[in-house]
Amino acid sequence: MRALRGRSPWVWVAGALLVFWLIWAPMTSDTTDLRRYSQVIVSVLAVLGVNLATGYGGMISLGHGVFVAVGAFATAYFVDDMSMPWVLAIVLGTLVAGVSGTIVGLPALRIRGIHLALVTLGLAIVFQPLAKRFPSLSGGVSGRAVEARFDAPSWFGDTRYADAVWRYIWCLVVVVVAIAITWNLVNSRAGRAIRAMRDNDTAAAIYGVDLVRTRVATFMVSASLAGLGGAMQIVLVPFTSQETYTVQESLVIYATAVIGGLGTIWGSVVGVALREIVSFVGTQLSEVGGFGPVGHVLALLDTDAFVFGLGLVVLTFLFPRGLVGGRRSGPRNRGRLAGLVARRYRDRTTV
Amino acid sequence: MDLVLLLQRIFDALFNSAIYSSLALALVIIYRSTGLLNFAQGEMATLAGYIAFVLLAGPSRGVYGSGVLGLLPGVPYPVALAVVGAVVFGMLSGAATERVLIRPLRDAPEMALVNVTIGMLLLINSMTAQWWGTGPRFFPPLFPTGPGENFDIFGARLRYNTIGAWMTLLVLLVVLAVLLQRTRAGLAFRAVSIDRTSAELNGIRAGRTLMYGWALAAGLGAVAASMSANIVLLEPSMMLRVLVFAFAAATLGGLDSPKGALVGGVIIGLSQTLIPAYVPFIGFELGVLPALLVMVAVLLVRPAGLFGTRRIERV
Repeated sequence: MRALRGRSPWVWVAGALLVFWLIWAPMTSDTTDLRRYSQVIVSVLAVLGVNLATGYGGMISLGHGVFVAVGAFATAYFVDDMSMPWVLAIVLGTLVAGVSGTIVGLPALRIRGIHLALVTLGLAIVFQPLAKRFPSLSGGVSGRAVEARFDAPSWFGDTRYADAVWRYIWCLVVVVVAIAITWNLVNSRAGRAIRAMRDNDTAAAIYGVDLVRTRVATFMVSASLAGLGGAMQIVLVPFTSQETYTVQESLVIYATAVIGGLGTIWGSVVGVALREIVSFVGTQLSEVGGFGPVGHVLALLDTDAFVFGLGLVVLTFLFPRGLVGGRRSGPRNRGRLAGLVARRYRDRTTV
Repeated sequence: MDLVLLLQRIFDALFNSAIYSSLALALVIIYRSTGLLNFAQGEMATLAGYIAFVLLAGPSRGVYGSGVLGLLPGVPYPVALAVVGAVVFGMLSGAATERVLIRPLRDAPEMALVNVTIGMLLLINSMTAQWWGTGPRFFPPLFPTGPGENFDIFGARLRYNTIGAWMTLLVLLVVLAVLLQRTRAGLAFRAVSIDRTSAELNGIRAGRTLMYGWALAAGLGAVAASMSANIVLLEPSMMLRVLVFAFAAATLGGLDSPKGALVGGVIIGLSQTLIPAYVPFIGFELGVLPALLVMVAVLLVRPAGLFGTRRIERV
C-alpha cells in the first residue's frame, strides 16, 4: 500500500475517522439516510473522472455530468429494455459511457486547453435538449422509471433496510475498487505518460509517449468512471431524468474536483466530503432564515452552485492547487524539459 | 422549395444573428486582448438584463432589488432608459471583474482563468435564480413587434424588431470602431492586444486599458441580453444556450477577429433556423447541436476560423 506510506499523522486521523464513519453510518441510519450516504459515496466517481482527465491529463472537462447521464441512461436501458442482470448492465453502461468519452476525447487530440473547456461546456449545454430528443432512451421531459430493483439476496435479508445496506455495501466496494484502479493507473508507467503529456506534450512525445493513445485512453477511463457513477445512481434510485444533468451539475462536479485538489486522488474524496458538509451546513443556515438581505444570503448558501462557484473563485487565489494540494504558488516550473527528465524515473512525483 | 418561406425564415433568423453577433463581439474583444474565453459573459449579460427588468418594474412591485434601484430618480423607466441603465451596470460590473478577479491572475496558468470564469458563471446563475426565481419573466420588446409592424418583401415579413436589432448593432459597431481607431485609449487597447509587454514598455497602463475592454464587452453583452430577453423570456439560464451560439459564431469567424464575430453570428443565426427547418431529424429544440458541431469542426480543421490569426507553435 504505497498510498499509505509517509503520510502525516493528520491524514491517518482523517482516514480513520472516514473509515469509522463508513462503518458506523449504516448501523445507525434509516433507509432514507443510507440511500443518501450511498449517493454521496457514488458521486466520488464522477469527480474522480474529472480529476483524471483534468488533474492528471491536463484536459479540462466541464461536461462530465454528460458521461454520468450516459452511464445512467445506458444502464437503465440494459437492465430494463434488454432485461440483463444488474452487474452486466452496470458493466455495459460503464462501457457505453467510456465509448462516448472516447468520441468526445477524439477532438481533444487537437483541441487543447481553454478551447477544450469551451467544447466540453458546449457539450454540457447541448446534452439536455439532446436527451429530450430521444425520449425512448431518456424518458424525454419527464424522465424514465426503472422497473428492475437491485435487491439484497435472500440470505442477506428481505427487509427494505437490508436492501439499503446491501446497496450501500455495493456502492462502497465499487468506489473503493475504482479508487484503487485509478491509484494504480496514475502511479504506473501509463500514469507517468499521462502526467508527462500534461506537463509538456512535445517533450513527452520525444520520450516515446504515444500522445494519441494516451489522450484517448485517459478520456475513456475518465468518462467510464463518471459513467459508473451514473450506473450506480440507477442502482440506488430506480429513476433517471435529463432534469438531473443540468449544466450547473456538470460545472459543480468540475468545481468539486478543482476545490478538492486536482492531481491527487484524495482531493476528489475531500471535495465530495466538502460538498456534503457545505450543503448540510447550508441547509441548516437557510432554515434558520433571517430577514431582508440576510435571509437571501443564507438561502444562497443552500445552493451548491453558489457555494462552489464562490469556492472556485476564492480558491483560485488562495489555494491554486486545491485544498489537498496545499497552499503553494502556481506551477511555475511546469513544462521545463529538465524538470521532466529529473522526474521521469521517479515514482512519486509532486504533481 | 418554397422561396417565400425560405426568405421568411432568413428574415426571422436575422434577429438571432444580431444577438449572436453582439455577444460574439463581446467574447472576441476579451479574447483578443486578454487571451481568455469569458465563460461568464452570458451570465453577466443575464444579470444586466435583470437590472433592466428591475428598473422597468419600479419600486412598488415587490421585485427583488427594486427597493434599492427604486431610489434612482424617475424609476420606473421606459424600456430604452432601462436598457441604458443595464448597459451602465454591465460596463461597471465588467470593469470591476477585470480589476478584482482577472488582473491579479496575469501570470497564472490558463486553468486558473477557466476556474474563475466558470466560478462566476455558477455564482451569477445561482444568484439570479435565487433573487428573481427560475420562472421566465416577461420583458417588453425594444422595438415594435406587433402584427403588421413589418416590411413586406416578396411576400415575406421583415419585422421592425429585426431591423432595430441590426441598427443597434451597427451603431455599436461604429462607436466601437471610432473608439478603437480614433481615440488614445483605443490606440492603447490595440497596442495591448498585439503585444502587452511592448505596450507596457511604451508607458501604456495595460491593466487599465484591459479594464476598458472588459467594460465594453460587458456593455455589449447587456445589449444582447436586453434584445433577446423579449424573445427567449428573461430567466436565469437564458443566455447559456445563446452563449453556445455566440461561441460558435466567434470560433467560426476567428476568435480574435471582430469582423469574424459579425460574419460568424450571421451564419450561426441562419443555421440555427434553417438547419432544423430543412433537416427534420434535428428539430427545433436541437438547433444548438449544429452550432456545437460547427464549433468543434472549426477548432479541429482550422482553429483560426475564417478571419482569425493563425497561430504558429514553436517547440
